[in-house]
Amino acid sequence: MSRKAVGVAGKRLSLSNLEKDLYPSYGFTKAHVLEYYRRISPFILPHLKDRALTLKRYPEGADREFFFEKRCPGHRPDWVKTAEIHRDSEEKMTVCLINDLETLIWVENLASLELHVPLARAGSAETPDSVVFDLDPGDGADILDCARVALILRDLFSGLKLASCVKTSGRKGLHVYVPLNRRETTFEDTKKFSRAVAEIMQKNYPALVTAKMAKELRRQRVFINWSQNDSSKTMICVYSLRARERPVVSCPLSWKELEDLAGLGDPERLQVLHDEAVRRAEAQGDLFHEVLMKKQKIPYL
Amino acid sequence: MARARQEEKTAMQVIWSGTISFSLVAIPVQLVKAVETGRVSFRMLHVKDYSPLARRMFCPEEEKIVSPDEIIRGYETGPDRYVLITDEELESVTPERSRTIEIAEFIDMREVDLIYYDHPYYLVPSKGGEKAYRLLAEVMRRTNRAGLAKFVLGEREYLVAVYSTEGVLALITLHYSEEILPDEGISPGETKVSAEEKGSIEKNIRKMMADFDPERYADRRRKKILDILRKKAKERAPVEAPPVGEEEVEGPADLVAALKESMRKVKDKR
Repeated sequence: MSRKAVGVAGKRLSLSNLEKDLYPSYGFTKAHVLEYYRRISPFILPHLKDRALTLKRYPEGADREFFFEKRCPGHRPDWVKTAEIHRDSEEKMTVCLINDLETLIWVENLASLELHVPLARAGSAETPDSVVFDLDPGDGADILDCARVALILRDLFSGLKLASCVKTSGRKGLHVYVPLNRRETTFEDTKKFSRAVAEIMQKNYPALVTAKMAKELRRQRVFINWSQNDSSKTMICVYSLRARERPVVSCPLSWKELEDLAGLGDPERLQVLHDEAVRRAEAQGDLFHEVLMKKQKIPYL
Repeated sequence: MARARQEEKTAMQVIWSGTISFSLVAIPVQLVKAVETGRVSFRMLHVKDYSPLARRMFCPEEEKIVSPDEIIRGYETGPDRYVLITDEELESVTPERSRTIEIAEFIDMREVDLIYYDHPYYLVPSKGGEKAYRLLAEVMRRTNRAGLAKFVLGEREYLVAVYSTEGVLALITLHYSEEILPDEGISPGETKVSAEEKGSIEKNIRKMMADFDPERYADRRRKKILDILRKKAKERAPVEAPPVGEEEVEGPADLVAALKESMRKVKDKR
């Protein structure tokens, strides 16, 4: 195994196997992955900060076996920040917090291509910062259908005077976030809200939307997975790479862009590659900024 | 003694939740239906494939269905004369949803003429309110007092009475006095009645006196309809409508209403 010692922000890191091709059909090595995360770090770090990280590691590459790692590996450097979490059913667990560049690089050196985080911070695990609508197309539906649903959701929320943001999932779907950032909101609230929204969408657009998980009901429809609004669930972090054939990113889009891209009728246009993600972030800033900052209240809850 | 649930159980759907309060007391409660009218309701179906039918507004003049954005409310002031009013104008006078049932005064329920009674609900104690609830129900039962309050339900502000019935707190909306139609001229003028005639009526009434026992009465037509339906359902499987996403939206009533309103605007726009 080849090793290379580097210094990141004054911390010493030993990077391994930098030439390993992690996206073999595209030609994207671990060095490329590290470089992507280094450049995107100013944008992704605020979204990772203080959240119990779930690593999804692909040691043999994006097309091979992976494993989830919730516990922060025991062999971590002593400067990696952690949090203790304990849920009723589980025993206490130490998780990693990616609060700085050096931790991000260390985690990526473990080939954790995908970074998954909960909707709440580790210190207030029952208080989600946002409500998420995970739009997942069933067989026969695609990301363009998701875009239709997302645009309806945007208008539906704006009727309630709620701003929302959208990102690609980096797979086949879209994620719509409604920022809350209020200490009083609980997952019980966000679940009630997201469920009512999913059901009213299903009722009004029965040929396009389902609020139910059952596979046969999802055929040719977009499943609005409202159950993601739970303290035990995680979402792919905005700006995280996805382990697909190509290094695509879960990337925020402005609503106008989504409208325009969806209008082109080509699902591929709604996939954002690593270099494009960096270019967009550096030019436009963080389009998901509001998810962290904007304070909003779900009405009547 | 609690009333037994009816054979056709209906889940207690929470219509409103908040607190009952007066002076320093605050009891968290939920409002649920107390009566289900005996009407057997039917859906209108398309005989071709049994799809449920929807109501639409129809213009007899043009002989066509009118879309929602072409509809406005008019208040009839005379034959073919209307004053127009918009949704926004109506909304501007709609009171804010009540968070509490603030009892203003306690009255003797016997002073309220039955003609004022409108619609009854039960109040169910929420978590943490059980003890205060039991206490209030007990004291109100013993003193036969009811709490009078103003309360916004749906879009209207109601005058309501909170009273105790068999250990349970109930809420009844009361008619405003201006809603009660005058009874002038109904009662015939004074006529001479002989003591004998009076005595005979009194005697007859006394003979027919009984305790009020509602169980002895039932809506016979409803029962017969239900019997027919039960028999038909057993003999032949019910017809099936083609699947559509027709399910009620779950969630707090106000939130669901707000979502429906926003959805209506979204669909009008598209």
